[in-house]
Amino acid sequence: MFDFGILPPAMFGSMVIFMLYGFPVAFSLAAVGLLFGVIGIFTGHFDPAFLQALPLRVFGIVSNDLLLAIPFFTLMGAILERCGLAEDLLEGTGKLFGAIPGGLAYAVIIVGAILGAITGTVAASVITMGVISLPIMLKYGYNPRLATGVIAASGTITQVIPPSLVLIVLADQLGKSVGDMYLGAIGPSILQVLIFVLFIFALSIFRPKDIPPLPLEARGELNRALVFKVLAGMIPSIVLIFLVLGTIFMGLATPTEAGALGVVGALALAAMHRRLTWDLVKQGMHSTMHITAMVTFILVGATCFSLVFQGMDGGRWIEHMLSHVPGGAVGFLIFVNAFIFVLAFFLDFFEIAFIVIPMLAPVANSLGIDLIWFGVLICINMQTSFMHPPFGFALFYLRSIAPRSVKTSDIYMGAIPWVFMQLILVAITIFWPESVTYWLDKTPPVDLSTIKIEVPAFGNPGGGNQMPNFGLPPIGGDQPGAPAGAPKPDLSQPPKF
Amino acid sequence: MSALLRLSRGIDRVSEIIGKFSGYLVLLCCLVSAGNAMIRYAFNYSSNAWLEIQWYMFGFVVLLGASHTLRANEHVRVDLIYGALSDRKRLWVDIIGIILFLLPSCLYLAWLSWPVFLLSYQQGEISSNAGGLIRWPVKLIIFAGFALLALQGLSELIKRIAALSGAYEIDTKYEKPLQ
Amino acid sequence: QSLPKINWRMTSSFPKSLDTIYGGAEDIAKHVAAATDGNFSIQTFAAGELVPGLQAADAVSAGTVEMCHTCSYYYVGKDPTFAIGTAIPFGPNARLSNSWFYEGNGNKLLNEFYATHGLVGFIAGNTGAQMGGWFRKEINTVDDFKGVKMRIAGLAGRVLEKLGAVPQQIAGGDIYPALEKGTIDAAEWVGPYDDYKLGFYKVAKYYYYPAFWEGGPVIHAFINKGKFEELPKAYQAALQDACAFANTSMMAKYDLKNPVAIKQIVAQGTVLRPFSQDILDACFKASKEVYAEISAKNPWFKKIYEDQVAFQKEGYLWMQLAEYTYDTFMMIQQRNGKL
Ligand code: NA
Ligand code: NA
Repeated sequence: MFDFGILPPAMFGSMVIFMLYGFPVAFSLAAVGLLFGVIGIFTGHFDPAFLQALPLRVFGIVSNDLLLAIPFFTLMGAILERCGLAEDLLEGTGKLFGAIPGGLAYAVIIVGAILGAITGTVAASVITMGVISLPIMLKYGYNPRLATGVIAASGTITQVIPPSLVLIVLADQLGKSVGDMYLGAIGPSILQVLIFVLFIFALSIFRPKDIPPLPLEARGELNRALVFKVLAGMIPSIVLIFLVLGTIFMGLATPTEAGALGVVGALALAAMHRRLTWDLVKQGMHSTMHITAMVTFILVGATCFSLVFQGMDGGRWIEHMLSHVPGGAVGFLIFVNAFIFVLAFFLDFFEIAFIVIPMLAPVANSLGIDLIWFGVLICINMQTSFMHPPFGFALFYLRSIAPRSVKTSDIYMGAIPWVFMQLILVAITIFWPESVTYWLDKTPPVDLSTIKIEVPAFGNPGGGNQMPNFGLPPIGGDQPGAPAGAPKPDLSQPPKF
Repeated sequence: MSALLRLSRGIDRVSEIIGKFSGYLVLLCCLVSAGNAMIRYAFNYSSNAWLEIQWYMFGFVVLLGASHTLRANEHVRVDLIYGALSDRKRLWVDIIGIILFLLPSCLYLAWLSWPVFLLSYQQGEISSNAGGLIRWPVKLIIFAGFALLALQGLSELIKRIAALSGAYEIDTKYEKPLQ
Repeated sequence: QSLPKINWRMTSSFPKSLDTIYGGAEDIAKHVAAATDGNFSIQTFAAGELVPGLQAADAVSAGTVEMCHTCSYYYVGKDPTFAIGTAIPFGPNARLSNSWFYEGNGNKLLNEFYATHGLVGFIAGNTGAQMGGWFRKEINTVDDFKGVKMRIAGLAGRVLEKLGAVPQQIAGGDIYPALEKGTIDAAEWVGPYDDYKLGFYKVAKYYYYPAFWEGGPVIHAFINKGKFEELPKAYQAALQDACAFANTSMMAKYDLKNPVAIKQIVAQGTVLRPFSQDILDACFKASKEVYAEISAKNPWFKKIYEDQVAFQKEGYLWMQLAEYTYDTFMMIQQRNGKL
C-alpha cells in the first residue's frame, strides 16, 4: 500500500474530504491537486516547473474537438425541451404506455436508448434526459428516487451504446479499432435495456405506487384519435433522431458535427411548430453555456489533481497494487473491475483511460483476455461508477438540473438499485464473454504464407524482371540493359495478388 | 464596505456582459459546425481554419463562461453536507472555500498560463495544420478565463462577507442551472 | 563520486498502443539505466499522462519535464523549420536521414535551431518510409485529388492542398466513423503494423503508397538544454548512446513487423495502390513551391533545407549505384520466388 509513500493514497483520501466540504467540485479538485503540488515540491517529488504542465493540459482539454459534443447535444436537448417537442415524444410514448404502471419509466428507458444512439457523452445524455423527463415524471406522481434513478441510468446508457466517447477513448488506449469496440458493445447495451425494463416491470408488480399509471384525464382514452395524436406529436422528435443519425450515415457529418446539425434541426422543427421564439433560443444557449462551463471545469479541476498524482508516482502506486492480483483471467477481471469501480468514484474516465488502462491492457493481453471484451467490460463498469453516489458524475449532472424539490439524498438513494443492475451486467459480461464477442465479425485466421503481394514494376515498364534504368542515360558510361532515353518507369499499374 | 460592494457590482457587470457573449458563442459554434458539415458535403470544400474556430469558440465558452457560472452559483457541488447547513454556515463554507480553494487555484493557474500565451504570441505560433489559425488568442483566453474567475471569486467573497454583516442580501440557495 | 543519483521524467508524444514508437522512449530509459548502474533513472510517460502529446516539446522547454520523445514536425506552428527535423515531403529516406543527422550537418544545424527554443535534440527512432494512407476511392490522376477530404497534418497538407485536396484535421476519435461513412475520403496514419491495429481496412478499400511526405521520418528525443548541460559528461554520453540505440531498434522492429502486417491487411481484401508517377511529379513540384515560399520568409528553414537538399543530391546519386541495383536484383529474386 505504501511502497510509493503515503502521498498517493493520501491524495485520494483528501479528495473525498475536500469534495464533501461542499465547495464546487471543480475548484475543490483543483485545490486538492495544487495543495499536494506544494507538498510534492517540498518532498522533492518534482520542482515547481513541473506544474507548468497545467496550462498545457488545460489547452489539451480546450482543443479536444470531441468535447464539442457537450454544448451541441446540450443545446439540442435544451431547445427540444423548451419548445416542448421532446416532451411530446416522451409524453406521447408515456401516454401509449400510460395505462400500464411504469409507462413513463419504460418511455424514459426507450428514449434514453434512442438518445444514446445519437449522443456520445454521458453529460449530454443525462442532462438532456433529465431536463426533458424529470418534470413530467414528478408531475404525475412518480417517486422522485425512482424518477431520478431511471433517468441517471438511462442517460448513462449512452456510454455503452455507440457512438460513445468512452468507447472511442478506450479503443485508442487498448490499440483496438473503434468499429470493433462499437460492435462489441451492442450485446451488453441490449442486455442493459432488457434488465432495466425487467426491473420496472417487477416494480410495477411489487411497488406500483412508485410508478403510477397516468390518470385517465392525462393519457386520454386509448382510441384511434389518441394514437394518431400521439404519433403526430412523436414525429418531430423521431425525425430529429433520424436527422442526427442520418447525417452520420450519409457521411454528411462526423458524429460530433451531427450534434450541431441536430441543433439546427431542432430549431427548424420548433419553427415549423410555431414554437420558436428568440427568448427560447436565448435561454437555451445561456443554460448550455453554464452547463458546458461547469462540466468542462470539472475536467480542468481533475487535470490538476491527476497531474500531481502522476508526479507523486501515483501511476506506479496503482501499477504496484495491480501486480499483486491473484492469478487467473477471472480473478484478474474481478479485481480490475472492483478497482476501477472504486477509482471511478474519483477520477473521470479520461484520467482512468490514460492512467490505468495502459497498465491493465498488457496484463489482460498476456492472460489471453480478448481486449475488445475487456474494453467493453471496463466501459460498463465505468458507467456503473458514473452513477455511484456520492461522487458519480452523472449524479452531479442530474443534481445540477433537478428542481429543488428533489432532495440530493433522493438522487443518491435512487441511483443504488440501478448501480446493482449494472453490476449484474458486469457479472454477466465477465462470465458470458460471447455477449460481447458474438457481434464481432470474426476474421477467419489467414495462413499468411498463402498471401502473395506482387508489387508493380519498380524498374521497367510492364513489370519486367530487369534491372532498373530510371529512363536516364546510365551513370558514368555504358551499361548493358539501360538504353538512353528509355521510357519512364511505370508506377501507375495496380499490383496483382 | 460600500466601496468594496461597488467593486463587486462592477465585476458582476463585467461577468454579465462576458457571460452574454459566451452564450451567443454557443449558438454561433453550432451554426459554424453545422455549416462546415453541409458545405463540405455539398461543395467538397472546407478548411482547417473553420474546423479550428469551433474549438476556439468552445474554449471561449468554457473559460469566459466559467466566471458567469460562478456568479450564478451553478458550479456543481457535493451538497451532502452543504445542503443541510444554515444560510450563515453556507456563507462561511463559501468564504473559506473562495479564500483557500478558488482564489489560490485560479490565480496560480492564471499566473502559469500567462507565459504560455506570451511565448505563443512572440513566436507568432500558428496551427500546425494546413490553413489553420493563429494560436495566441486561445492561449490568451486560458489566462483570461482564470483571471476572470479569480476576479469573480473576489466579488463573491465581498458579497458573502457583506451578507454576514447584514450589509447585503444574498441567496445562499444552491441554484441549479436553469433548463 | 562519479555516478550521482538523477531522476528524470520523459513524456512521450505517443500512446502506449503505438507500442513500436512508444517503445523507443522505454528503450532510452532502459539503456540509460543500464549504462549508469541505475543511477540515472528516467521515468517514461505516455501522451496525456503528464502533458498532451502535441505539447511535449513545450513542456521540455518550460522545464516541466527534463525530456520528451516526440516528432519535431508537431511544432511547425511555432516555426516551419521544426518540420525538417522529422520529415518534409520528398526528404531523405531512413538511411540517408541517419547519414545527414549523424555525419552530415543535420544534427549540428538543427541543434543550433533547437537551441533557440531551449532544446537539445537527438534522433531516437525512425519508422522508415510510411504508407500514403487509406482512400475510399481510387486516385489515378492528379485531378482525382480535387475535393478529396483527407485527414493529413502538417506540410503534407499544404502540398496536397495545392493539388486541390481538402486537408481536414477532424477529431481523433471521429476519424474512423468519418472515414467509414465517407464524411472524409482518406486518412493517413503510419504504416501497415500500426494501421492494421486501427482497422482502417474495414472502412477504406485502397491503401496507397508511398507517403512521399514521410520518406524516413525521424523521431526525436528533446532534452531541456539547461538540464542537459548540467548532466555529468558520462550521463550525457549514456543518454546519447541510448537515443542512438532507440533509433536503430525502432527501424528494426518496423522492418520485422510491417511485412507480416501488410499480408494481414491484404488478406482482408485491401487493394494496394502506388501513387502514379504523375501524382508524385505534381506533388514534388508543389512541394518545391511550398519550400520556396517558406524559405523566402524563414532564414533558418532556408539554411537547413538547402543543406539537406545538397546532401540528398549526393546521397541519392550514390544510392542509385550499388544499393539500388543490388536491392532491385534481390527484389527480383524475391518476386520470382527464388529467395
Ligand atoms: Na452513445
Ligand atoms: Na504518416
